[in-house]
Amino acid sequence: MSQRTQTPSTSASATPVVQGRGLTRDYTRGSSGFFSSSQAPTVRALDSVSMAIERGEVVGIAGPSGSGKSTLLHLLAGLDVPTAGTLELDGTDIEPLSGRQRARLRLETVGIVFQRFHLLDALSARANVALPLVERGVGKRTRRERAESLLEAVGLEERVTHKPGQLSGGEQQRVAIARALVTDPSLVVADEPTGELDSESGERVLDLLVDVADEQGVVLASHDQQALDVCDRVISLRDGQVARRQ
Amino acid sequence: MCGRRLRSLIGVAMYRVLGRFRIAPQRVLLSVLGVGLAVGLMVAVTGVSLGLASQSVVQSEGVDYWVVPEQANVESIAISTGGVQLGDVHRTNAEIASDERVEYATPVLLELVPLTDQQTGERTYVLTVGIIPQAGAEVLGLPADALTPGDPHYADGQYDGPWTGEAVLNDAAATLTNTSTGERLSLARSNTNRSFTVANVSAGGAQTAGGTVPVMLVHLSELQSLTGSANGDAADQLLVSTNDPAVRQQIEGRYPQTTVVTRSGLSAQQVSTSNLPLAVALAAFFSAVFVGVLFVTTLMGLEVSADRRQLGTLAAIGVSSRSRSVLIAAETVLISIVGGLVGILLGFLAIGGVNELAQTYAGVDTIALFQPELAGYALIVALCIGIVGAVYPVWLTRRTGMLEVLS
Repeated sequence: MSQRTQTPSTSASATPVVQGRGLTRDYTRGSSGFFSSSQAPTVRALDSVSMAIERGEVVGIAGPSGSGKSTLLHLLAGLDVPTAGTLELDGTDIEPLSGRQRARLRLETVGIVFQRFHLLDALSARANVALPLVERGVGKRTRRERAESLLEAVGLEERVTHKPGQLSGGEQQRVAIARALVTDPSLVVADEPTGELDSESGERVLDLLVDVADEQGVVLASHDQQALDVCDRVISLRDGQVARRQ
Repeated sequence: MCGRRLRSLIGVAMYRVLGRFRIAPQRVLLSVLGVGLAVGLMVAVTGVSLGLASQSVVQSEGVDYWVVPEQANVESIAISTGGVQLGDVHRTNAEIASDERVEYATPVLLELVPLTDQQTGERTYVLTVGIIPQAGAEVLGLPADALTPGDPHYADGQYDGPWTGEAVLNDAAATLTNTSTGERLSLARSNTNRSFTVANVSAGGAQTAGGTVPVMLVHLSELQSLTGSANGDAADQLLVSTNDPAVRQQIEGRYPQTTVVTRSGLSAQQVSTSNLPLAVALAAFFSAVFVGVLFVTTLMGLEVSADRRQLGTLAAIGVSSRSRSVLIAAETVLISIVGGLVGILLGFLAIGGVNELAQTYAGVDTIALFQPELAGYALIVALCIGIVGAVYPVWLTRRTGMLEVLS
């Protein structure tokens, strides 16, 4: 497995690819009754967390289950909006954006790698990788070329036309990484990317993510110490708050 | 949404539908079969209503135009006794027939003529069709070759030419009157000494739900003389056979107060002028749309629910709500169109089956018709089912949250 030797971009003009200040997220548990005047109880999943990630940086998020890792990841990926605090994705404050505008911002600036890959079963590896480009209105030939070059970059040039069901878990995760990179995003968000893989496949996936970070910022949530070891720094959460920064 | 993105989304939808056929086909197959059954039933019922509508019209394979009075309609002709008629038909027919582009033209007079059963002496009625025969001509599926060509009794409007008394009967008329070729037919009328002789008995004639109508072909002027239509040289319609569409204008110019119906326009007019077939066809349409939409909506709704994770994934990677809606709508429409194609096949088979059963148990040749236009109609209905049926799955798609995907 490659070790991180590269330092994040330190140019004065560099804007963090994602910057959160005082990020707080409350969830309502159930709903208040129709005839009841009492407020539904709320749960604070994340409490005043601040962090920034720059290009070329791999940041790990650690913590036990229920510590707020997923909530923070959702906010950083622009999938959710904070109850309090501000979040800027590539310099854009997401709070005033509509759902449609946030989807557009995600499409252009964020690549997401899921623990369970979440590839579309009916589509080939190439079509899965090219999917975000469909939304961007890119022509078929360009989509195919871009998808094939990324599949080649992740070592799957022989598996271009294979369906997800014909690929191993490690191969599927590499396809997912290629899909995350196809729009050339500023930030790659990976949620337990090695959680479903054996150690050898996991190592290869981590190598790919580290390589990606030459151009993009990478944020990686994991329980796996092997995954956290490749990160430039690790933020540990406990009960929705930052417990430790390494 | 740009055309390129729309095309790409439809392509993705196609692959997803094909993928479902491969991986978990149950729901997709049920949807296709549901729409197929609904559309198939509609095609079959519409075929029957077309059959019903066509049974009251004088049809002949070689006829391209029907000329009927404006106040009449095609559907009413076969049973018209005393309806609006065309006048001076011999002269007009001669003018139309003189055009070298016209292969055959004849006026048609239809009357119910009472005949006496040769064995029992009972009075019976036969639909008698007066025409001007020509070698090779065929009217109502009966060959007119056995009749002397032309109309000798007409004698330039004097109605004093030789009385041929020739009649061509179909099997039903021959059975009804207990006569065969060469035998004399007795008219059950006391005020005439005229009679007919059976020149030929042939298969053919108009079909109704009750069986083959007893039909007798005779010379026009002879039927006119018997029924009082000689006064004014009246007939119900003119049949014109031609390969040249330009003839229509000539015919229309010849008879300003008439309607010229083409072969392609006949079906539409048959349906539009008859309430029962139209009502049956409309009921079939609404039933098909209702049943089809219920099937598609329910099964595609289940499909979307089962597919929440993939839809959530699409949302997470930035595919907009509108694009996801288009994707699901396209999948629903595609499934409906495949169902429509299955329905056309089922409808075609059902029409064949209905006709087979009718022939076996009721002795009726054709009670349902499958016309090529029915296939296009069925596809349009399937498209409507897909569009209406997509509303609920699309609504469900828009409600699918994406956060559960990452959890």
